[in-house]
Amino acid sequence: MTTLWDTTGSAVVKELAAQRRTGGAVLSGVALTLVVVADESRVDEAEEAATIAAEQHPCRLLVVVRRQIEAPVPRLDAEVLIGGRLGPGEAVVMRMYGRLALHAESVVLPLLAADAPVVGWWHAAPPERMSTDALAVISDRRITDSAMAQDQRKALRTRAEDYAPGDTDLAWTRSTSWRATLTSTLDSVAGRRGEPVIVGAASIEGDPGSATAQLIAGWLSSRCGCAVGVVETTRTPGPSGVDSVVLQLDQDEQVRIQVDRRGGAVISQPFRPDSTVALPDRSLGDLLGEELRRLDPDEPFSDALEAATGVSGLSDRSPVREHVWFDPADPEGTNGHGNGHGSAGGSRTRKGPAGKAPAGHATARHTAPTVPADSADADEVAEAGEHDEGGTGVTRPTSTRSGAGPSRSGSPARKRL
Amino acid sequence: MITNPLRDPRDRRLPRVPEPCALVVFGITGDLARKKLLPAIYDLANRGLLPTNFALLGFARRDWADQDFAELSRDAAREHSRTPWREEVWEQLASSVKFVQGSFDDDNAFDELAATLGELEGSHGIGGNAAFYLSIPPSMFPTVLKQMQRTRMAESTSDRWRRVVVEKPFGHDLASSRELNALVDSVFSPDDVFRIDHYLGKETVQNLMALRFANELFEPVWNGHHVDSVQITMAEDVGIGGRAGFYEKTGAARDVLQNHLLQLLALTAMEEPVEFSAEEIRTEKLKVLRAISLPEDLRTFAVRGQYEQGWLAGQRAIGYRQEEGVDPSSTTETYAAVRLGVETRRWAGVPFYLRTGKRLPRRVTEIALIFKRAPHLPFADTDTEELGNNQLVVRVQPDEGVTLKFGSKVPGSVMEVRDVAMDFLYGEQFTEASPEAYERLLLDVLLGDATLFPRNTEVEASWTVIDPLEDFWEGTTPYSYRAGEWGPRAAEEMLAAEGRRWRRP
Repeated sequence: MTTLWDTTGSAVVKELAAQRRTGGAVLSGVALTLVVVADESRVDEAEEAATIAAEQHPCRLLVVVRRQIEAPVPRLDAEVLIGGRLGPGEAVVMRMYGRLALHAESVVLPLLAADAPVVGWWHAAPPERMSTDALAVISDRRITDSAMAQDQRKALRTRAEDYAPGDTDLAWTRSTSWRATLTSTLDSVAGRRGEPVIVGAASIEGDPGSATAQLIAGWLSSRCGCAVGVVETTRTPGPSGVDSVVLQLDQDEQVRIQVDRRGGAVISQPFRPDSTVALPDRSLGDLLGEELRRLDPDEPFSDALEAATGVSGLSDRSPVREHVWFDPADPEGTNGHGNGHGSAGGSRTRKGPAGKAPAGHATARHTAPTVPADSADADEVAEAGEHDEGGTGVTRPTSTRSGAGPSRSGSPARKRL
Repeated sequence: MITNPLRDPRDRRLPRVPEPCALVVFGITGDLARKKLLPAIYDLANRGLLPTNFALLGFARRDWADQDFAELSRDAAREHSRTPWREEVWEQLASSVKFVQGSFDDDNAFDELAATLGELEGSHGIGGNAAFYLSIPPSMFPTVLKQMQRTRMAESTSDRWRRVVVEKPFGHDLASSRELNALVDSVFSPDDVFRIDHYLGKETVQNLMALRFANELFEPVWNGHHVDSVQITMAEDVGIGGRAGFYEKTGAARDVLQNHLLQLLALTAMEEPVEFSAEEIRTEKLKVLRAISLPEDLRTFAVRGQYEQGWLAGQRAIGYRQEEGVDPSSTTETYAAVRLGVETRRWAGVPFYLRTGKRLPRRVTEIALIFKRAPHLPFADTDTEELGNNQLVVRVQPDEGVTLKFGSKVPGSVMEVRDVAMDFLYGEQFTEASPEAYERLLLDVLLGDATLFPRNTEVEASWTVIDPLEDFWEGTTPYSYRAGEWGPRAAEEMLAAEGRRWRRP
């Protein structure tokens, strides 16, 4: 592990390459890059969860902590670890101060695993509009957690209004075990009857303010075509926010699932004795691990979110966001930075021709002059890092690529033999 | 027809959960049941993969009350479970654990078993579905199966299924396996018979199919034009443990070669199945097994060995003949190696070298494709002295993953090429999070998914390969090798005869 104080993005890239060379065969193949955006107060929690998830899905882990945006001088502190505290893979924890925090992508972009999907996870209050965070724009999948919000229903609505395919939310992940139990219970009813089951109505008792409860209601209503609400109960529901679910079936039958407060739930269904299933609270790492299993858009989630919030047309939206420049210090955009150039540059960082992206990054050029200089250097290092003996500012012509030298000197040597 | 509105094919987070059912285990007090089966059931419950109405029924000779059985199961599950222990999960499971005492020839005991099963149908809502797991020696099969036939426990009807799970060995030669298959199939319908080969439940075996059929890169070279030979190895560092009685009658060829190695060969050599379904995969595997040819010169190309005393992993190991319960002049083999051919257009002329053994230096199972040398090397001879054949190795266990071995330039001003290995390894936790073989197979039985289970015709085709070998070896004495060696010299010579050598796994 190495900690770099007041450093640059290129030094982080270099350090990562150096550790990879000295660290031995610790990494076994990378399936994705996980970018975690966390508040300082939640870094430990996020690191623990990301480590568990990284053990299931080999990934490069980049933790971004944005601190003190008002600090006068931008600064980057970074911790580089390979096969250590943060699991078997490569991990970098970055703390960004001052205006640099608004340009986190300039540090993150050169650190992404080549051609692997990028997953962004906000273990912090996510931006109201994802497009204002360049890290969300470069992510193929974006994970938020509406259950962290003070007003979870409002948070859900915000997510629905801003939704693009590829967005997902841990409040939805928390519903999986409930949904699985409900589904397998209906399987058993259908199996007994030998004919289809129709759900005429459903009701949920629990905490109406819980995002997970709302999403389960939304899911039921999207699947069954009936309105489902969450009714407040006197009992205190667990983290899922659901105390019981009752499904009214055709043929005048009813299915009821009730939390038993011992990590399980009791299933009551017609013609069968009551039975108990495990319905444990899952750790954050476990939830995150489930999210990383699949990286394609989650249509059942968008359907449930639509039904839960009443916002429609979610799955028809474009999965690609354009970066919109947003300065929290200047929310009105009065100093003229809220311009179209920034947005175009941001979106092109991911979708456009690879080489042009950093050059076209208008936002960086405007606000933090030191950063673009560093990131240009970082690309050079990424390509030819081991040949560049710490020569800061030495810009070689791009034609002297690292591969060309040795192979050219190699062939005459062979002829001499 | 959508029978359940909550089932959404796009919703891939929801696990497949079996219908309400009971699992009846014969020989529940045995080693396998305690170390593998019970922990696997707990792990399934802990992961929420057991149906909401589930019952576990144990049948054994010991005189136990339900509580004793629950206690034993709990200890076994707790000691060997893979997932964290949660008492509340076990308690929920324990409430549906029942024990029936009796011997296998006791009519009353089986009547009681049938009655208990009928009771569970009402009290636990298992809907009449049941899987019977025969964790008992094959010699007991006839008795147990006949009892099940008599009590009509084995009959699948339109509103309930009854399945049977059989462990290897599936017979000891073609005739006995036919007999066994005929017996099992007469009691259960062939589709309801699940033969467990836990190797096939390993993630990597399924990954082999993904590697071959989901990629463009490998399939074009996966044939005799590019592959020089294939080596399939299953090595164990352990001896025979306490299984002398079983092993004396069986030997390495029947114990491992006939099932695991031939199944791995079939998966390696098979053509692309029309779809990834049980029936189609079995069809392709069966074609390969039927296309296997034996070498004419069995003396050179079918070698068996027996370990002598030696040193293994820093400890002294006794020889096979000195093991407790083994005949001091035993000719049972603990090592077998054979060269097989697969007579298809894809594989004609490519030797498949299979080997297995006990007390070998380390525990490893792998499939190695050795590629031909490049037809022309534009380098000086001295440049490529250290260049070997390219290899693609699928590691089944341990360190599940894939290795690619190819030539690379040695850094420096001189042109030299030598072999390097590129590894893909599932993360350590990745394998831990991936379901243990038994868990996966048990779940598949309860779901009725037969993709990973060999069919009776496959078993019979495998015996057709093994029987001539056993006939040839009959009455001969195996070559000896020291414990801790990679098998007898004759096995080395077998490959040397064709200018090849074993890869050290």
